[in-house]
Amino acid sequence: MAETTTFSNATQILEPFRGVKRVTIEEYFTSGHRTCQGCESALVMKLMVKASGPRTIVLGSTGCMYVANTTYYTTPWVVPWMHTQLGSSGSAALGTAAGLKALMRKGKMKSEPINVIAFCGDGGGADMGLGAISATLTHKEYNSLILLYDNESYANTDIQLSGMTPYGANTTFSPPGKVKRLIHTRWKKNMAGLMAAGHPECRYVATVCASYAVEMMNKVRRALTIGGPTFIHSLDPCPKGWDYDPMLSHELGELAIETGIFPLYEVEDGQVKYYGKTKAIVEGRARKPVREYLLKQGRFAHFLEEDLEYFQAKVDEMWEKWEIPAVVPFRRLDATKAALAPK
Amino acid sequence: MAALICEVVYRGIFQKNLAARITRGIVLSARKSGRWGIAFGRYGDSPQRNGIPAKDFAIVADTKEELEQNMARYEPKHVDVTIAVDDTLSKGVESWAWYGLQPINRLTVPNGTLLMTSLQSFDSLLKDIHKKDAPYKLALLRAKASFSGLWVYREDHTEVRILGALAKIAPAFLTLDGVGEAIREMEWGSDLKVESAKKAHGRLETREVTMTEGNAEIPYSFEMPKWWEMREGVTIPAIPVGKPKESGKGYVPERNPYFKKFTTRTMRPVIDFDTCVKCTLCWIQCPDSCFDVMPDGTYDANMEACCGCGVCEAVCPVEHCITMVNESVFDDNASQWEMWRKDKGGYKTWMTSKIGDKNATVRSHGFRFRGQYEKELETNLDAGGVEITAGIPGENAQHKTV
Amino acid sequence: MAVVTQAAPAGHEEDKELLISGSEAVAEALTLADLDVVTAYPIRPYDTVMQAIAKKISGGQLVAEYIVAEGEHSQFEIVKHASTVGARVFCGSSGVGWMYAMECLVVTPPLRVPMVALVGNRALDDPGAFGVEHNDALVVRDVGWLLCWIDTSQEALDTTLIAYRVAEDRRVFLPLAISADGAFLTHSQALTMVPPKSKVDQFLPRYNRGDLLLHPDNPITVAPQANEDWVIEIRRQNNEAMARAVGVIEEAYADFRRVFGRGPENPWFEEYMTDDAEVILVGMGTISLPIKVAIREMRAKGRKVGLVRLRWFRPFPTEKLVAALSKASALGIIDRDYSFGSPFGSGVVANEIRAALYNADRRPPLLSFICGLGGREVTLEDVYKATDLCYAAAKAGKSDPKTHWLGVRE
Repeated sequence: MAETTTFSNATQILEPFRGVKRVTIEEYFTSGHRTCQGCESALVMKLMVKASGPRTIVLGSTGCMYVANTTYYTTPWVVPWMHTQLGSSGSAALGTAAGLKALMRKGKMKSEPINVIAFCGDGGGADMGLGAISATLTHKEYNSLILLYDNESYANTDIQLSGMTPYGANTTFSPPGKVKRLIHTRWKKNMAGLMAAGHPECRYVATVCASYAVEMMNKVRRALTIGGPTFIHSLDPCPKGWDYDPMLSHELGELAIETGIFPLYEVEDGQVKYYGKTKAIVEGRARKPVREYLLKQGRFAHFLEEDLEYFQAKVDEMWEKWEIPAVVPFRRLDATKAALAPK
Repeated sequence: MAALICEVVYRGIFQKNLAARITRGIVLSARKSGRWGIAFGRYGDSPQRNGIPAKDFAIVADTKEELEQNMARYEPKHVDVTIAVDDTLSKGVESWAWYGLQPINRLTVPNGTLLMTSLQSFDSLLKDIHKKDAPYKLALLRAKASFSGLWVYREDHTEVRILGALAKIAPAFLTLDGVGEAIREMEWGSDLKVESAKKAHGRLETREVTMTEGNAEIPYSFEMPKWWEMREGVTIPAIPVGKPKESGKGYVPERNPYFKKFTTRTMRPVIDFDTCVKCTLCWIQCPDSCFDVMPDGTYDANMEACCGCGVCEAVCPVEHCITMVNESVFDDNASQWEMWRKDKGGYKTWMTSKIGDKNATVRSHGFRFRGQYEKELETNLDAGGVEITAGIPGENAQHKTV
Repeated sequence: MAVVTQAAPAGHEEDKELLISGSEAVAEALTLADLDVVTAYPIRPYDTVMQAIAKKISGGQLVAEYIVAEGEHSQFEIVKHASTVGARVFCGSSGVGWMYAMECLVVTPPLRVPMVALVGNRALDDPGAFGVEHNDALVVRDVGWLLCWIDTSQEALDTTLIAYRVAEDRRVFLPLAISADGAFLTHSQALTMVPPKSKVDQFLPRYNRGDLLLHPDNPITVAPQANEDWVIEIRRQNNEAMARAVGVIEEAYADFRRVFGRGPENPWFEEYMTDDAEVILVGMGTISLPIKVAIREMRAKGRKVGLVRLRWFRPFPTEKLVAALSKASALGIIDRDYSFGSPFGSGVVANEIRAALYNADRRPPLLSFICGLGGREVTLEDVYKATDLCYAAAKAGKSDPKTHWLGVRE
């Protein structure tokens, strides 16, 4: 049954969509999932496979986009989709890519580039699955994309805090109380920066927000085209966990960017490239105050003025103190700077 | 020797805290007259999703044994009182795939009561509520649906109004005094709330519904496959990719046939196809892929798939091109685009009447800014306050330009 | 290092006889089976298999994706996913490594993933100990894994080939774990017949994932979240697959004998001197060695003792085992595992056999022994002591159900 095809480890060449009118008309993730009204993560799923096209296999680790999305004995998926365990998005991507590669190079399966995308939520990606994702990003001979949809809590299990929950937010594990106003006082992990900085052979890391649909899709297309293991971090407003009118999902995504809380950038072969409204911020446009974003969400309704100020100061630090603003938090010593400066 | 079984049918997340307050309130009120009771949520609904219908239950009984008899079920098979805290649930409930469309009065016992919060007339509601093969009572509390989110509660007194009304419906189990006492003891209770309960008790409107009344539609249902009919490996076929709308133009995606999601909807987009600039934003930003692409390049929201989130209205750049309108003013899920294609003038008239109804276009779907609920409830608390909508992006297409 | 010790005997021109360890025997079988994806992570004693495979890969005999994972959880998840796109896969672990992968082990039976794994049986922590105990593999006994135990290099090689034939049969599609005690994997080399690829190809067809293949040409959704309306049906399907495995295993062994000219008539267990046995001892794995030696010693003194060495634990060969055991005057079940708080404090095998015998027409007295934990040597004296107790029970016609611990300092 060996196919007479020559194996190559090439990827699909997915040119960027030049404008919204050029976007694929077909849906590969369709209606009939059981997500919340206004679920931005469901939108991310839809855009992700719209960008990748039909020759794609999607692996979904446990989380909202598994539980709410696909309820047995039904599915909203048009492309092949399979569940993987909560901490396994990295392993699922690697195993699927390795299986395809083995069969193709041994002539047991027709050789063709098939996109492999594994997604994880912030709990599955930034907490439990971090080790496996990190390992996968070092396996440069297997083409796959890991997409982290970050709704900033374990939203599926009824909103518990994760390593990606913003400072002070109300969750079922961090309820504001009379004695302790803020239970969660950790600052959110910098996932994209961590992945880009820590995996020198991972050629592409990007941050995206589905409020900017075409750009988001084009980052997915770039990640799949460039090959090897790649990583995308998507910030997804969550009407359930963040507590806002579902109509505002799109607007909150925009505000996260405009306040500078979530930067949009890509790191391709080590080069940092800001894009969209983040680029404008880097080029000097004023960031909106974080309170415009925070006070539109019920999860921050207990914030006092001092909490808002602390939050603003931390965001300011990202932009004013970090060596690569909003990407890498390192700060070079002045002496080092001087030594490196052109004589 | 008797028991009272109540179900609260509510909108996931938006009314989760409300439903929990009601069922707890029922049990604690009945306790005041020595009854035993239990309050519980349908386990399968958890975790709830914004808008997707869910159920909580309260059972109170004279003895512990009677209580146990009624508890030994995953979900009660019949209830004495069905409480629906959003009147758009009158169109039926589909909580999960394969559940089919379940009439709101499905579990209500013969001569039992369906209690709703609604501003609609009995007749208007009975156009939506499916026919039942037994008579029952329809009881109405004149109030809007109370929506808020997980963390910030909208203190509009809905929970105490329901308790007050129940004291009228089932006085043998809940006395008005017992309800008042229980409310006062709640951490969210107050004298003002006790007054609201009393007012609701006095103002409850009730009407007998006969077997001939109601929506004659036969709700869709599914038969689940047997174990040997199911595919092995926890595997199911994917959905096909969809096809052009007609003559090779446009595009209609295939959709999950076993979960339609439209019973999640409380408002629906009404589209002005004449002003549509075909920018694609509604289509591309819809998390539910509910927009079909029409041959002329416009987008038609498929009413079996739309769950009414309102994102399309928020992103549409054309003023009044997409307007969210309360679900209660529609009678079917027919295609707006087909209606428009057949008779553009007729469509315009229909559309204008729908989007011109201020009551039907006011949106209240939870938190928008801190302090909003308090401000809204400063006036007309008896009717659930007055919504503040000004300055909200997308709301009724204000301040939008092409 | 494998060294050819002598030419293959006549009639088996293409077979080679090699002096190899159990680990090397498994690697030989995997090469012959044309494995596609294999994942490694170090833990003693199973990792010697991966060392042998790594040499096959670097030597070019085996062409496969060889992935060193960052933990057992990933190790098992990677091959699980590779299997769903149609790859023949192999994995393995020992002791707490197997536990670390536990989440990934329980999902493979409902997903109907026919992965083959090697468990180098090892005591569970704490304390960290390399010695053998069977508790690691036994933790998956209830969830749909096919489980067998081996005790020679030849059996390691043969069983690995049979494992793929059984697991990848569409009627079964279940994961299979081959359990092996540490020492023989790592510390002993035995003369082993290695068949040629041509024979293996006659016996072992290509893995065909069929309608369950995850591929754009066969778009399916696999394992969506299910509510209470569906789960028991899925379990019922799994139960059926395990039941069908019984026939498939018998078919596979019969075919193995046809193609390779060797292999047991009875796939399920080895019977040693049981025909006339008054006392039958039962055990799994390499414990058979000291028992066999002790049996020969005892028989020389006129005691008719026999051994049943269980190969297959799941599916459990209930009827066949009852037929073989119920004729004895007394049974001594020697567990190299424990089950604290179980009925009579017995080991897992003893209680399984008790349950199997419950409906038997004849139920001999049954004694339960726990022995050799943590790799402690099972001595001839232990076996004699067990046999003495069995004879006493046979004479009394009944047994005290209490469990005897052998070889413990007291």
